[in-house]
Amino acid sequence: MTITHHISKISPKLVLIVNTIFLALLSSCSRVDHKQSALDPKGLVSQNQYDIFMLSVWITIFLFCAVGGCLLYVLWKYRAKSKEEAMEVPEQMHGNSKVETTLILVSAVILVILAVPTLQGVVLMNRVPDPNDTATLEKLKLDKSQIEDAITVNVTGKRFFWVFEYPQYGIVTANELVFPASKAVRVNLRTEDVIHSFWLPKLAGKMDLMPGQENFLWFIADEDKIRKGIDPDGNPYNVDAKVAMPSVFNGEMRETIFTKQAFTDEFEAVGGLFYGQCAEYCGNSHAYMSFRALAQTDEDFDKWVLKFRNAQNPNLQPSAYMSESKYSKGDIVTFSDSTIGENVTREYRAVKVANKGQTPSTQPKSWEKVHSDDYEKGKILFGTQGCAQCHAINKTGLGAKGPNLTLFGLRTSLAAGWMRNDEESLDKWLRNSNEVKFGNLMWNGEGVDDRHPLRQLEDDDEKVSQLVTYLLGLK
Amino acid sequence: MATESIKYAAPDTETKLETKVFPRPGQHTSGIVDWLTTIDHKKIGMMYGLTALFFLLIGGVEALLIRSQLWSHNMDVLTNRQYNQMFTMHGTTMVFLVIMPLSAAFFNYLMPLQIGARDVAFPRMNALSLWCFVAGGLILNLSWFFTGGSPAIGWFGYAPLTDTRFAEVIGDMGPDFWIFSLQMLGLASLLASFNFITTIINMRAPGMTMMRMPVFTWMTLIVSFLIILAFPAITIALVELMFDRTYDTNFYDFLEGGKPHLWQHLFWIFGHPEVYILILPAMGIVSEVIPVFSRKPLFGYGLIIFSGAIIGFMGFAVWSHHMFTTGMGVVATSAFSILTMLIAIPTGIKIFNWIGTMWGGRIRFDTPMLFALGFITMFMIGGFTGIMHSSVPIDAQHQDSYFVVAHFHYVLIGGALFGLFCGFYFWIPKMSGRMLNESLGKLVFTLMFIGFNLTFFPMHYLGMIGQPRRTHSYNEGHGFETWNQIATIGSAILGVGIAIGIFQFINAFFNKKLKPAGKNPWDARTLEWTLSSPVREYNFARNPIIKSRDQAWENNYGAKENHSEKEPLDDHGVHMPDRSWYPLLTAFGLFVLVIGMLFHASIGPAGELVRDYTVAICGGTIAIFGIIMWSLEGPAGYHLFPKENEE
Repeated sequence: MTITHHISKISPKLVLIVNTIFLALLSSCSRVDHKQSALDPKGLVSQNQYDIFMLSVWITIFLFCAVGGCLLYVLWKYRAKSKEEAMEVPEQMHGNSKVETTLILVSAVILVILAVPTLQGVVLMNRVPDPNDTATLEKLKLDKSQIEDAITVNVTGKRFFWVFEYPQYGIVTANELVFPASKAVRVNLRTEDVIHSFWLPKLAGKMDLMPGQENFLWFIADEDKIRKGIDPDGNPYNVDAKVAMPSVFNGEMRETIFTKQAFTDEFEAVGGLFYGQCAEYCGNSHAYMSFRALAQTDEDFDKWVLKFRNAQNPNLQPSAYMSESKYSKGDIVTFSDSTIGENVTREYRAVKVANKGQTPSTQPKSWEKVHSDDYEKGKILFGTQGCAQCHAINKTGLGAKGPNLTLFGLRTSLAAGWMRNDEESLDKWLRNSNEVKFGNLMWNGEGVDDRHPLRQLEDDDEKVSQLVTYLLGLK
Repeated sequence: MATESIKYAAPDTETKLETKVFPRPGQHTSGIVDWLTTIDHKKIGMMYGLTALFFLLIGGVEALLIRSQLWSHNMDVLTNRQYNQMFTMHGTTMVFLVIMPLSAAFFNYLMPLQIGARDVAFPRMNALSLWCFVAGGLILNLSWFFTGGSPAIGWFGYAPLTDTRFAEVIGDMGPDFWIFSLQMLGLASLLASFNFITTIINMRAPGMTMMRMPVFTWMTLIVSFLIILAFPAITIALVELMFDRTYDTNFYDFLEGGKPHLWQHLFWIFGHPEVYILILPAMGIVSEVIPVFSRKPLFGYGLIIFSGAIIGFMGFAVWSHHMFTTGMGVVATSAFSILTMLIAIPTGIKIFNWIGTMWGGRIRFDTPMLFALGFITMFMIGGFTGIMHSSVPIDAQHQDSYFVVAHFHYVLIGGALFGLFCGFYFWIPKMSGRMLNESLGKLVFTLMFIGFNLTFFPMHYLGMIGQPRRTHSYNEGHGFETWNQIATIGSAILGVGIAIGIFQFINAFFNKKLKPAGKNPWDARTLEWTLSSPVREYNFARNPIIKSRDQAWENNYGAKENHSEKEPLDDHGVHMPDRSWYPLLTAFGLFVLVIGMLFHASIGPAGELVRDYTVAICGGTIAIFGIIMWSLEGPAGYHLFPKENEE
């Protein structure tokens, strides 16, 4: 009596608490865009993995209910209801071979249901379909050109960042994999130090990067799925390809992500942005070894490739001013400028035709400075502070110790996908990267000690701001 | 206890060979010397259990630190290196210093009682096994105090992260401590296993045929075979790794042509059977408990044993399912995938049979039974997620995510630890002679069950939404926070439950207010329940002659011809061996050898590498001296004369 009274007193409060918790959980689910969720596949391979997973979930839920239900029934039916009953001796039976055999056969059959799609899935993951195998392509709803025009990316894992090399185009970038949404992407995986694992949940699952061998995975995005999404209120939407996948080459992607996608729980997703992560423990900063994959329309991807190729083409770098040459409008040369330092050059662009001998110093009206003074000073610092020893800019620099920084100003993230690539984060990163990402090799690598100029930047506002201007100006 | 009824033999004939150095402590040894020199399987079992429970607390604190670091995004409870050390130490501790030795504690204590033997076949080797285990645990945890602190390489120690080339602290000694500690623990396990196999094959009481043996003893036998077949693989792997680190060999150094893949194969050829080494003892315990609390014999006894053996055998054929994402190619991954699925069948059989055992019974819900039921349900979930991983495409997403963390904790806590707690609640009355408090036991079960599920169920979801394993931090915006907070709260509840449980087990040996247990408080079925509680030092006053499978039950309820008999008393009495110092001395020698190897290298005045093996050689000499003296010290011993009516 007292107990029931007690419960009736508590229950409204209890119901309220339970409801609040439940609602909180529910709302937190609906609001969050799980950036790295395998439950939200956006590509052919990941969709296949998801489908098999859901099949296994339903099979096991069925089994759990069947076996668990049976267990509950037995526990209820055969419970000892009194002390006397607990001392009774029931019939001492030792087994029943018919029941056992049936159950073994049933379990085997259930496993076959899972085994068949598993084997199909193994083949799909490991082998890009043959473009001439029309039957398979039809089954997978793929177009021949999507496979034939596949791009290849060579991924190299390093502690603690990613190198992405595009052998077809001769370009190298880092930490952000730009790819065409409509084409298959073949990914060759290697590592130069310990084991890493390339995990891109929404597109591809994962594959390890094993030292001394080359591994492979492939993926192809589904443009329709990239364009679809669910807004913060839970309503589905379907946007244009251009909206879902803003251009990378002109910085639209970066801006869109910065405006739409805050690093908080609530944001509007940018469909073409995918998050990836190193999934094999690789040392101190393993948790920080993430990356991004940016989907592009074919046209935007080509433009990005072109821009990147030009940037890394050694023949297209501005050359030193030559007094015998005549320069037409738009030509860029390097020429000394004593205002920013001794024996240093900066870039000038011809605003009109510059005849022989019309140097930027003798004929300033024909020339304009391409970059601000801070940019040029930052560029000099990049050389003098030891940055250039590890980072390549405007060259492929394969084998460099640090990430390639070509067109760094177009990158959306910093420190292997860990931070947003804006002035504030970059400032923080340059001053003391060890505080942001403890154990990173820019701070702790071979040959870096307290005398290294990099470690002197912490209180040097001027130098840091010049470096920031330079790096973010690379676009 | 029973001293008055015992006459003592004159110390004459059998003590002639006794040595002068460290003579065997005799019958009346007590206190610390007794515990250090004992060769009684029951005391060794209890020390195994107590040490393992202590390490359970240490490993648990490490787990709680891990959980508090993951409470929210970008937390600073631990630095990333500390966090990496925590998960390495947590994993290594829980596998090698908690679950395995807890199982060993039960093997030691119960197996001789269940087959009607007075001790194991090699009692002093049994003591050596214990002291090697203690030394191994000590070496692992000593690593905290030396260069680089504890290892930060994961419990799996994947090459080439373990190579000195990739050390993140100059002169990091953590991995060296880890290597030597695992070698010591391996030695302990191998010694114990050979001992158990010999005992079970040779020392069963008359009439105790193989198919009359209790299931727990069967699982002891199977697990012992798994250990002696699996440990050589990791021993070799560790020796090679030690050579790589100490003498610059190139087994795993890929830059010199070594093969990191080799480590993974060797490690998992050990590592997967190891999973069954951890779970089969718990299955054995549960197979003992469920019949008792249903008052029915085990349903499908033969099939349960056969499926245990099949699981053990197939455990050697599925190791590569830990390596689905290492690029083994279509054929190998498919083959290992199918084999892994097949292993679900014998596992399923066990569950069907446990339910079959309860069918038609009179089920009582005492604490051991609650833990057994918790085991069945939790292990079922762990098994189901295991089937999911066996499918390669699913594993491509799950591998190294929190989903896997959830999976193996369901198997190792929901499975193994619940099974072992079940065993504690069931057998501690036999060991201590006192009943545990039933309501406190139920409270422990409730806390553990709720805490465990709160901690690990959300991890399935966390893994699916992309939280990778072994990461000390995560960024905001992934939606990981809420679920991690639930898990952290759950882990605290689980921790409280386990702590109360451990208190309760130890308290049972000291608290005189607890109810005496008597011979057979649960009306249980197997041979050990025919003995008095706690069991006398000689186990069986007279050799039992076994007539049927569930002998204790048959003696109470069975037909007359199924009752066990006893061999007649003779004038010789019960010959008890004396204690011995040499197992302890030998283990100490091995410990010194390890310390000598760990610190043998130093930098000389001219910056050159100096190797000094003096300490290691001393240690080795002590160990060899111990073994030689051990074989020379002679049997010694004394005789006890139990009375007619004593068990």
